[in-house]
Amino acid sequence: MEVTDVVCPLCGCVCDDVVVEVEDNKVTKVKGACAVGKSKLMGHGRITSPAIRENGVLKDCSYDEAIKRAAEILAAARRPLMYGWSSTVCEASKVGIELAEEIGAVIDNTASVCHGPSVLAIQDVGLPSCTLGEVKNRADLVIYWGANPAAAHGNHMKRYSYISKGYFLPEGKKEKKLAVVDVRETKSAKLADVFIRIEPGKDYLVLSALRALLLGYDDVVPEEVGGVSKKDLLELVQMMKETKFGIIFFGMGVTHSRGRHNNIVNAIQVTRAAHKHTKFNIMPMRGHYNVNGFNQVCTWETGFPFSVDLSEGYAWYNPGETSSTDLLMRGECDAALFIATDPGAHFPGESIRHLSKIPVIQIDPYANPTTEFADVVIPAAISGIEAEGTVYRMDNIPLRLRKMIETEYMTDEAIMKGILKETRLLTLSRRL
Amino acid sequence: MQTIRLKLKEEVTGRNARIPVDASLLTPDKLFGKRESEIKAVNVWWGNRKENTGELFDVSVEGEAGSAEEVKIVMDGDLSRVKHIGEGMKAGEIEANGDVDMHCGAMMAGGRITVKRNADCWAGREMRGGELVIEGDAGDNLCAMYRGEMTGMTGGKVVVGGNAGECVGQYMAGGEIQIKRNADILAGLNMKGGKITIEGNAVMPGADMTGGEITVKGKVQDMIPSFKFVETTTVEGEEYKKYLGDLAMTEKKAKGMLYVR
Repeated sequence: MEVTDVVCPLCGCVCDDVVVEVEDNKVTKVKGACAVGKSKLMGHGRITSPAIRENGVLKDCSYDEAIKRAAEILAAARRPLMYGWSSTVCEASKVGIELAEEIGAVIDNTASVCHGPSVLAIQDVGLPSCTLGEVKNRADLVIYWGANPAAAHGNHMKRYSYISKGYFLPEGKKEKKLAVVDVRETKSAKLADVFIRIEPGKDYLVLSALRALLLGYDDVVPEEVGGVSKKDLLELVQMMKETKFGIIFFGMGVTHSRGRHNNIVNAIQVTRAAHKHTKFNIMPMRGHYNVNGFNQVCTWETGFPFSVDLSEGYAWYNPGETSSTDLLMRGECDAALFIATDPGAHFPGESIRHLSKIPVIQIDPYANPTTEFADVVIPAAISGIEAEGTVYRMDNIPLRLRKMIETEYMTDEAIMKGILKETRLLTLSRRL
Repeated sequence: MQTIRLKLKEEVTGRNARIPVDASLLTPDKLFGKRESEIKAVNVWWGNRKENTGELFDVSVEGEAGSAEEVKIVMDGDLSRVKHIGEGMKAGEIEANGDVDMHCGAMMAGGRITVKRNADCWAGREMRGGELVIEGDAGDNLCAMYRGEMTGMTGGKVVVGGNAGECVGQYMAGGEIQIKRNADILAGLNMKGGKITIEGNAVMPGADMTGGEITVKGKVQDMIPSFKFVETTTVEGEEYKKYLGDLAMTEKKAKGMLYVR
């Protein structure tokens, strides 16, 4: 059976034009997805059964037993952390936030080690942005800054930006210009009309210089800024002034280098300065397919997008203090729940050492390094293949993931509802 | 004078998880007039539950006070997981004998806090008055603001004996900060008023400033490229280059002054 218009559950591009063939309840062929998206849709090794660690060894158990044990751990905790949420659907996040409020947890998603700095910057100065559809149809200048879509967002250029053909740009890339700013010549940089190579950690300076040049204060800007000559900066500024519709896409190269969220504030201010001359936009290259969706749900539920501390009965939001790696590095948490994520592979060593000392609950379709130290392991259905639900693309467009395959695995939403119900029984008896 | 001694019990931070205690209710003005037994009964947050102060701290009270000004709180023990020390205090004195956790002296309006060692991030956040002395190093966001706030410190004086972290005095609008050693990147970011003196080195100071004054007595690494050189001037017998900025905020708004050697 051929399934068309499949929505890919991999990266923030959320391509919704993938074609999948399903035979005997298995995906047998994938067309239109990039290599990484295809690999995910084709499927690979799964956690086979719920399990609880006893004397250092994971022992298979029923879903009910694993959910009850998870609830006991969370209800007893004084400083629990609930982290992940970016590779699952909004419906699961919604229940997760309800649980976090019930137990006074810190709830956080992978944005806190990804585009969290962008979210902070957006709160400071706003975000002059647009949809990817507008980029495809209108943008004649595309700038990738500290981002390498050719490697990380396989279909981004083809579907939405430089290589795509748009309504007002029917000739595609012949009518467009591509500029790449990075510390090394990436695969994406090789395609660019202009490549600006900056010294690592100097993004902030280069962005300030661009603002001054766009505002017409050429005389104050020195001959070289952050390893870039003033001549090259003026050339980029000229390209920006001449465009009809420009867009800056930025990635981890700016959010996690020296200056972090302040780099993004500065990049957004560059966009504003460009408005003196033309229409300009800016957009973060969000990583996981629903990292944005958690931020949406968390904002409408708590008022803040991630790293929300509900321990004192109200939402306190302070990345740097309430963000997962900071909490774990400081050894603050006494229990942790991880859903649809793998801190075992991605977090700093010091925080993993702390996780080895406290009870850890893992909810995931796949075994990963986190499974090695998890005390309760609960396998889940794969969202977008075995479960449906809502996700948000990098440009804030909500899309509905489809279910193509029947499964015995519980969905993330059902698991979270189960844990919430069991936890409430325990917290209620504590209050009585 | 009255001295209230609060010593954090070892078992509070000596476990697997080092869960912070919220000390915002333990200020001279909030404890003034309370007997020892009443202080022990003050409910403070420890993680997601409230505990009596007497469960977490050894408490003792000496002497009498006629007003909050006459109350001195001396804090001992491992204070590296005690947050919000002296937050919002209006009068009296706090002496913290050790490293203190985040938000020490945040929103403080009066009185004096002395931290004998280092202070973690957000010390003096949105401070309005009084004096905060950190004898060791200060973490990031000293005298800056809560996420999303557009105004940081507005009054009072802060002295740091050692180094300070990133974004000293972000969105500062008044008051005075003195750093005896070096400041990390972006000191005085978005500064609108007040005065920052850095006796050591600074990196990218004054970005996006629209008012106030920053003086760097040591070296400046990575000068922001959108500042306008005004003149060479002499301050306290030393020669400084005076810059106006930040022009990236437009010339009309760029009323900040940056003095560098």
